[in-house]
Amino acid sequence: MSDTITTRTYSADAKSRDVRPRESERDETQQDETQVCPECSGHLVTDEEHGETICEDCGLVVEDTVVDRGPEWRAFDSAERDSKSRVGAPTTKMMHDKGLSTNIGWQNKDAYGKSLSPRQREQMQRLRTWNERFRTRDSKERNLKQALGEIDRMASALGLPENVRETASVIYRRALNDDLLPGRSIEGVATSALYASARMAGTPRSLDELEKVSRVDKMELTRTYRYIVRELKLEIKPADPEQYVPRFASELGLSDEAERQARQLLRDAKETGIHSGKSPVGLAAAAVYAAALLTNEKVTQSEVSTVADISEVTIRNRYKELLEVQDGTLLA
Amino acid sequence: MTDPKDTINIENVVASTGIGQELDLQSVAMDLEGADYDPEQFPGLVYRTQEPKSAALIFRSGKIVCTGAKSTDDVHESLEIVFDKLRELQIPVDDDPEITVQNIVTSADLGENLNLNAIAIGLGLENIEYEPEQFPGLVYRLDEPSVVALLFGSGKLVITGGKQPTDAEAAVDVIISRLSELGLLNGSF
Repeated sequence: MSDTITTRTYSADAKSRDVRPRESERDETQQDETQVCPECSGHLVTDEEHGETICEDCGLVVEDTVVDRGPEWRAFDSAERDSKSRVGAPTTKMMHDKGLSTNIGWQNKDAYGKSLSPRQREQMQRLRTWNERFRTRDSKERNLKQALGEIDRMASALGLPENVRETASVIYRRALNDDLLPGRSIEGVATSALYASARMAGTPRSLDELEKVSRVDKMELTRTYRYIVRELKLEIKPADPEQYVPRFASELGLSDEAERQARQLLRDAKETGIHSGKSPVGLAAAAVYAAALLTNEKVTQSEVSTVADISEVTIRNRYKELLEVQDGTLLA
Repeated sequence: MTDPKDTINIENVVASTGIGQELDLQSVAMDLEGADYDPEQFPGLVYRTQEPKSAALIFRSGKIVCTGAKSTDDVHESLEIVFDKLRELQIPVDDDPEITVQNIVTSADLGENLNLNAIAIGLGLENIEYEPEQFPGLVYRLDEPSVVALLFGSGKLVITGGKQPTDAEAAVDVIISRLSELGLLNGSF
């Protein structure tokens, strides 16, 4: 019994694998179709209301029956949408099987909601076991499953949004496909992928923050990060201190005025170039501290230091440099 | 303004050589005065020469690494001293074992502050490594000469990986011309 089921899952999965490359090819050809008028090469616009595609320049109607690709049903609340929609969630890179495989429910109930008999229950348990084994067939898939779980866990702990998780997952997949994993830990590569994607999305997290939620130490994280960036040619720009400002300011409960002032301090600093070689986190922390003082808001160095994970000494040093720059620009 | 090439200073030269036969480091350590040998800490025997100042690491296989010297001549001189000492211990050493310089570390100063962020983007992010959160210097790997340069915000730089003393000069030339092309140097050279 279990044999027939397992073969079916296998072939279904294999078929969906075959389809995928073809799908992506079709996507490309669709993008290649240029939207120009066949008569005068003018710009084409789609008139949604009348279902027509017309040329903006000569008025030629290129297509008069546009296919509405949206759902044919209407829903007025989310419960109705759930009951009427016939499709599942979109595929995502954040799951090792892209969310395409089927799970056997855990409730032990049949389609009518009745509890299963003990015999059927046992059978379902065996089927679940086999289903799980076939969902993750080789070591690479098991590896991916664990890593993507890690990425999701860390991203949640750091409050990183969906797009960052998705990018991190893609970076990890690339690393796995390029055989960068042997010799490095799954956790290390997953953490560096997340760090890199947070930087790419413009919402950087400091290494200290990542280290707290990760299972690897900073040394391994930085080493793996540099390796991944070099091998995958990710070309990540140095983090901009300004990107840390809003987070620190809101955690300290500062006003918009102080936040604006902090950004201004950093911009002045960047113009004079005193930021080169300095940690962006430290600069951001000092700018936030300096801005709070300039706008008469009460924060202590130790508060800033806890929020930003930067020592008070660093804050004092950077703060002095930032104010010197500001005095310079005011005098000039 | 001083020419950055005048500020080039060799900080360390590492060279390797060998005497072609295995050594019993324990007995060498007993007989050789001033030798440090602690196999639990480091498998090699460390022998320091004072004039010129350097350290020779002597290994069981008979290979010797000389480090800490300030010039290639110093390396040869201090290795000669080591060879003489070994000959005194009745260990046969060729007259002139081949000495290969493995690495030369050089420092230099461009004499002006650098905006590393701009340089990172100007030189192309694929050629450099700049992570101010991890290390304040910018790592620039040159193809010709094949050395690695660390550029710092103060304008000082460290060049490592060179095999000849001239590599450092060539590297400084390349760096200056690349930075001037990008308009990132204000200096008069």
